Amino acid sequence: MKMTLYVAKNSIVHKSDPITKLTYCLVAAIVPYIIPNHLFAFVIMLLSISLLLLGKVFRKMIPIYILSLFLLITIVIIQGIFHPDNVTPLFMLGPITFYQEGLLIASLLIIRIINMLSAFGVVILTTQPDDLIEALVKKGMSPRIGYVIGSVLQIIPQMSSMVGTIMDAQRSRGLETEGKLSTRIKAFIPLIGPVIMNSLIATRERSIALEIRGFNSKRKKTFLRDEKEFLFGKPYQLLLILCFIGAIIWRIFQ
Amino acid sequence: MNEIKTENVSFSYDQKTIVLKDINLTLANKPTAIIGQNGAGKSTLVKLFKGLLKPTEGDIWINGKNTKEFTAAQLASHIGLVFQNPGDQIFKHKVIDEVMFGPLNIGQSREKAYQNSIEALKKVHMEKYKDENPYDLNLSQQKLVTIASILAMDPPIIIFDEPTIGQDDFGKELLKNLIRDLAAEGKLVLTIIHDMDFVAETFERTIVMNQGEVILDGPTREVFAKEDIIKLAKLDLPHVMQMAKVFGIEETVLTVDELITRLQRI
Repeated sequence: MKMTLYVAKNSIVHKSDPITKLTYCLVAAIVPYIIPNHLFAFVIMLLSISLLLLGKVFRKMIPIYILSLFLLITIVIIQGIFHPDNVTPLFMLGPITFYQEGLLIASLLIIRIINMLSAFGVVILTTQPDDLIEALVKKGMSPRIGYVIGSVLQIIPQMSSMVGTIMDAQRSRGLETEGKLSTRIKAFIPLIGPVIMNSLIATRERSIALEIRGFNSKRKKTFLRDEKEFLFGKPYQLLLILCFIGAIIWRIFQ
Repeated sequence: MNEIKTENVSFSYDQKTIVLKDINLTLANKPTAIIGQNGAGKSTLVKLFKGLLKPTEGDIWINGKNTKEFTAAQLASHIGLVFQNPGDQIFKHKVIDEVMFGPLNIGQSREKAYQNSIEALKKVHMEKYKDENPYDLNLSQQKLVTIASILAMDPPIIIFDEPTIGQDDFGKELLKNLIRDLAAEGKLVLTIIHDMDFVAETFERTIVMNQGEVILDGPTREVFAKEDIIKLAKLDLPHVMQMAKVFGIEETVLTVDELITRLQRI
């Protein structure tokens, strides 16, 4: 069973420092909000997408884009028709008028969203979660938070396999889980009940197991795995942060 | 007479790895144990029996019903499966409600379901806990509740998945008697199990699986006599047989009593 969204490929993006990628992701996602300029946001979006292409993971993003389509269309409709600044009609769709001002705002929002998705895609699709968490913990993040992130990434596939077993067990007792909506609703409690109980019990057991192995020990922790060599380390992170500060300064003096 | 029949059954979860290869079995009346290493395909096989999975190739008939034509829920009144982990099914706050869930699902009236559930709980000596919350019981008691919840549905074929895990001597003895009683009632009892001692003492027929194939099938006594094949499937002989070997007894002994009788003759 696949544990995460990570796609194993051999690329320069995969070999880059996880922290650099994370910094890029945050900076690239926020800066287009600080600098509200179409062209600028568009360039950043292209940059994020080219990183995805470089990492050979662009195809994995397509379903995510499609999923966001619903939101994007909503934005176009709402802003294009109802934005308070709307004065210049651009085109008519039947009896409905779309306005230039609203559509401009909508397009900026859309660019920002696609950019944000792509930037997060760069981190999530090309970084092994373990590498990212370990890098963050080495940076001084609390191992507790590292553990939380790690377990969140694991819990989804774990739960889905648990749900599979529980569904089998209840179907074995004659519970219909397919067909009409009313049948499905009736099946909900027998399925979700054991899922919640099992999760609670598992959490308790796991916290005991962690404590036994000294998870809360105050001593400085060592790391089991050898440090990996990554490309684009510290200097690039610094550069990204400088870009970020630069954007803020630009905005203040604007 | 109850019968499971498989004809050239093969199964794979994806196209690449074949989990079961060309299984041809007829299971009828004798309590039968299916043994084999983890990953040998035992669990997949019983899920196929139960209709939870459908064969990729071949057909399975449960008392003449082809599993491909029914949902697992529809087959529930014909074949019962007790899952290994009680946590996978328990969700009611009272033992009696938990046990009645299955019978009600397959269309028993409330009175009948209640009556059957009490009967079933009596069979596993759990009737005194009928108003307890199942989550307050220990693992072996929870397991007995799940067994009762299948018994109450009164299916003619019952499969136990690792019934002895977490059971003490008392529990094992109870299970052994239960399986014998069910067989005497004319039910077909199957189990997948790692506990060779329990197999030797309880089951008349044993099927050995290895890497998706049936490599040995016959009366339990004959199966355990073929030590080389048992070893090939990476299984151990029952402890009582290992002990007999130490005493230099070559013939197959399956129970402690048999061993003692044999030793007294020496």
